[in-house]
Amino acid sequence: MARIMTTAARATFVFALACVLAPEGASAQPAAADYAWPNLTDFLGRLIAKVGPPIKVYKLSIDRDGKVDLWIQDQAHPDLVDSWEYDHGRIEGPIPVKFDHYPSVAALDHHVIELTTIDFPRLPAMLATARTKLGLADARVVSIELERGDSSGFISVTDTPIWTIAVDTPRHDGRVEFDLQGRVLDVDKD
Amino acid sequence: MSTRIDLRRVLALAALWIGEANGAPVAPAHPLEAPAALKAAFAEHIGHPVNVLSFGFGEHYAQMLAQNAAAPDEFDEYEAVPGRALEPGRPKKAGEVDCRKKVPFAALDLDAGARALAQARTIAAANGYKVPENITLGADVFCADFGWRAILTSDSNDDAMLQVVWTPDGKSPKAQELHEDGWRKVDVATLLAGSAKVAPAAPKQEAKTVAGDGRRRDFLDGIDADLARLQAEIGAPLGFKHISVDRTQLSVDVFQRGNRKRVSTWLVDTDGAMKLWREDDTIPFDCNKPFATADFPLSRLPDLIGEAPTQIPSMPQAQVKDVAIYRSGLCGRPHVYIKLEDERGYGNVEYDDRGRLVSAEIQ
Repeated sequence: MARIMTTAARATFVFALACVLAPEGASAQPAAADYAWPNLTDFLGRLIAKVGPPIKVYKLSIDRDGKVDLWIQDQAHPDLVDSWEYDHGRIEGPIPVKFDHYPSVAALDHHVIELTTIDFPRLPAMLATARTKLGLADARVVSIELERGDSSGFISVTDTPIWTIAVDTPRHDGRVEFDLQGRVLDVDKD
Repeated sequence: MSTRIDLRRVLALAALWIGEANGAPVAPAHPLEAPAALKAAFAEHIGHPVNVLSFGFGEHYAQMLAQNAAAPDEFDEYEAVPGRALEPGRPKKAGEVDCRKKVPFAALDLDAGARALAQARTIAAANGYKVPENITLGADVFCADFGWRAILTSDSNDDAMLQVVWTPDGKSPKAQELHEDGWRKVDVATLLAGSAKVAPAAPKQEAKTVAGDGRRRDFLDGIDADLARLQAEIGAPLGFKHISVDRTQLSVDVFQRGNRKRVSTWLVDTDGAMKLWREDDTIPFDCNKPFATADFPLSRLPDLIGEAPTQIPSMPQAQVKDVAIYRSGLCGRPHVYIKLEDERGYGNVEYDDRGRLVSAEIQ
């Protein structure tokens, strides 16, 4: 379906996504100056242009240096998952994802998260919340990940998309889990 | 007290003073002979009350892990090199500090540590252990028995280990030797008298090897000739427990001829060299019923391996990763298990003892 989308329809989708990603309607890039947020508008816009919507996210990882690794379900072959990497403007992919135990198509369909449901502009606020909750005001980002799973919080939430923001300082490691709406699910500090 | 030590103490104090002139205290040139100066250097360098979780030192080095007494979640590592200015402490993550047994820095008795190290060296010399370079104040791996601890090892026996522990004030030494069945107490007086010498190392048996025939092999093309060579080497029909095959290695677990509760593992490499790699006791309640070459489709094995990738159509690019032959289920007939691999995952193909397909599925 995605592969036969018209050029006009694709452009419309990319524009809509850019608006979703862009806080204040200006730029998708978060204002926080202490972490080199990747240019997700650029990455996702170019990715959509390559593979077409819908983008169904199996897993998203952003590392300390702002490199992104996005695993998406191949919509032409829904039993397959590909990795797309974005490193400061350079896109690499598709890279076949190799599983130890390959999930069934039904399991993949259930696991993936529709890209349009992900509110990326929340991320800077979530990072700020993570620092506050951990009491680590100057903590640096170790990784930011999104994947469906089980929260390890006091009130356990299972089988739901979970953002995990991991940070550290020279003295502490910490991680905070959020749901897609940015609500805190768990706080864990060493 | 000798004149030499007096002179060293003077030099150590002088070094401390010179270092202070540059902003950082200097560690004494001979820490074991000037423990008070070493402690004073650390105290001045840190500048606030701390607790000591570990402190190791010898002639060449001192290292301390300290907890800020006013902020129990703050840990720093400090190092001292004799004769050099102390470097700033390095923060250590709280999550990496598993054991928090400690003494206040004020109670740190480095004289006791130096005396304990001297006693450890006497024990080492009298009983054939290597002279220990350092001694460490801290808890053991179970976060217990906080004290000065020396670990003695031996050049003549790699397995020998003696641990001597003193209380933080350098008293009540306790010693224990490591044996196959765990730690065993040793009387310290006996050690000091040199009457608990290191046991000589057991002679090591050379691994039994058989030279290869020089022919290069791919074991996925067949293993019957090499099993025949192995049988000739052992001199009896092979009673298999497990056979593993990949392109470059054949691994065969066989029950020993005279003792069915022992299993020998033979490895055959690509040029045919055979090596008796290990011998183990069988595991109780495991399937310990041998099988023979006639009990599985040995002659058809290359064909079964060759056709295995076609058994899983959704893995058209699959290659054979490895093959195993062992008794199926609860000690049933020997089956052939072939693992496939492609760029996205793995698949498993199973044949029974007559070479009939049992299952073929993506893992």
